[in-house]
Amino acid sequence: MRRNVPVPATLGAWLALILLPALLPVGVAHAQGATERTLTLGVYTTPREAYANGIIPAFQEFWKAQRGQDVRFETSYMGSGAQSRAIVGGFEADIAALSLEPDVTRIQEAGLIKHDWKATPHGGMISQSIVVIGVRPGNPKGIRDWDDLCRPGVQVLTPNVRTSGGAMWNIAAIFGAALRGQTSAAPGDTAAAVTLLSKILAHVTVMDKGARESMLTFERGIGDAIITYENEIMTAKLAGQPYDYVIPKSTLLIVNPAAVVDTYAEKHGSADVAKAFVEFLVTPEAQRAFATQGYRPVEKTVGAEVAAQFPPVPDLFTLADLGDWPKIIKKVFDEGGVYDRALNAAQGTK
Amino acid sequence: MKKRFRAVIAAGPMGPGTRLAVILYIVVLVLIPLAAIVEKGLTGGVDGIWRAISTPMASKALFLTLWTAALMAVINAVMGTATAWVLVRHPFPGSRFLATIVDLPFAIPTLVAGIMLVTLFGPQTALGAWFGRHGLQIVFANPGIVLALLFITMPLVVRAVEPVLMELDPAEEEASFTLGAGSWTTFFRVVLPPILPAIASGTIQCFARAVAEFGSVVVVSGNIPFRTLTAPVYIFSEVEGDRPAVAAAVSIVLLLIAIGLLFSTRWLQGFVRRERV
Repeated sequence: MRRNVPVPATLGAWLALILLPALLPVGVAHAQGATERTLTLGVYTTPREAYANGIIPAFQEFWKAQRGQDVRFETSYMGSGAQSRAIVGGFEADIAALSLEPDVTRIQEAGLIKHDWKATPHGGMISQSIVVIGVRPGNPKGIRDWDDLCRPGVQVLTPNVRTSGGAMWNIAAIFGAALRGQTSAAPGDTAAAVTLLSKILAHVTVMDKGARESMLTFERGIGDAIITYENEIMTAKLAGQPYDYVIPKSTLLIVNPAAVVDTYAEKHGSADVAKAFVEFLVTPEAQRAFATQGYRPVEKTVGAEVAAQFPPVPDLFTLADLGDWPKIIKKVFDEGGVYDRALNAAQGTK
Repeated sequence: MKKRFRAVIAAGPMGPGTRLAVILYIVVLVLIPLAAIVEKGLTGGVDGIWRAISTPMASKALFLTLWTAALMAVINAVMGTATAWVLVRHPFPGSRFLATIVDLPFAIPTLVAGIMLVTLFGPQTALGAWFGRHGLQIVFANPGIVLALLFITMPLVVRAVEPVLMELDPAEEEASFTLGAGSWTTFFRVVLPPILPAIASGTIQCFARAVAEFGSVVVVSGNIPFRTLTAPVYIFSEVEGDRPAVAAAVSIVLLLIAIGLLFSTRWLQGFVRRERV
């Protein structure tokens, strides 16, 4: 006869070993001092310096003076789309500050943002920039405008549109400039715009995951031109990288949104401080911090203060000129859209 | 006597409780996630999978992944066997150090491996520029992909062949020489047949590992659709681009390839074991 074996003991030990690490953090997560508040930010990659060096310390001072509480920040920086998906997937950020509106809309559609986040004086937007072409110091290839990117021997960098919000701005800028008749393409001619786009895409040598990775590739010495945000170039120059940039005759105004993620902020009991932080982002103080890092302010008085820092654009257009995000995504970025067609055509030209 | 022996086994770590825990462990860790991917990939049916992988971008990416992995596997089969041969049969001062170095690629994060290659062979580096002048672009082109895959899978063939080679009696080779066979004949007629299954098994593992490689390839390849975009990177960008069904469909194809290969490895390993008995 077989002896009775203490099966549950062995199994229990195994299971305990597997499950214990998973249980541990639950106990410590909500331990919090009464005078210390915590804010979790989900931010895209490029404004890291503006937040870390300017805005976060300024807000901590502001809140201390107002309420006498310390605010501890936990900040995650990831590509805008990835950040947005992480928040929808359960990364409990109190605030989402992302590159483009559809990434905030995704969080809203998941039911996590319950208020009308666009009902602010600046339509929910906290910073602006423009799409520019970064070049090597002294612009040795003489690049002046979009058409120059398809000259023989010019190597171009732009990130992957599926993973990078920045790349979507870039493609929309070229497409828009072409439709507006500011390039070699005839005005209003979609087919000609696709052709121009495909010629530029044929010169792209590296498609990185995000705008910041793309900059790092350029700084490693690859490529003659990089399509990116003006603020990215300014931030890199502040960090001592040798860049020049050209503003195309016609380019797109980038606007970046931020919103409180209601569900998570309420859960953490931080709705008040989260709301105050988003409002703080458009105060002159925070706008100056953005401007220092190369963002064009949304706030008018700071805009006037720093006007000399930002060259004017001959033909600056906005998303509204192209429709709105849902329309642009459908027309340009969905399967079989302008981008797919240009990419297919680009394969033939190389 | 027999009874007591069984009781000892049953009460120790080899008891049925442990067996159950292990089964549960494998189910939770491997089978359930796999089932989730397959379920996602099958949302559009088998048709959906076919549609997803027959788009030009996906099929080019799959083709690129398969041929770079295959080329790498062939190079690794030859060089890995040679490496094991030298380390086992012709040790030299420092060969033990080299044997340790062989394992190093497994200890380095693949992303770091990719960055190392770009730092070494990037078009702006001396080495990269030299190759560029001779019309060969290494990184941000297909040679870079093969190079990255070679690096990350390097230990596999060496480590598969080494133990088999150590068990071979050098006397057989000596006998072959004594009977007048040249060194090539000796290698092909005496040494190669017994180690062939180990080489094949190591090579298949290389291939399976390479087909799924992301970290190093995403850094060195340049990721241009149709040209240098591999299937794993394509899957990643489809996930990021809110097309999880397409990503899962392409994943299923990679998964099927990997599963087929792993089963053939098992079969070959069984073959090796039988040969050795």
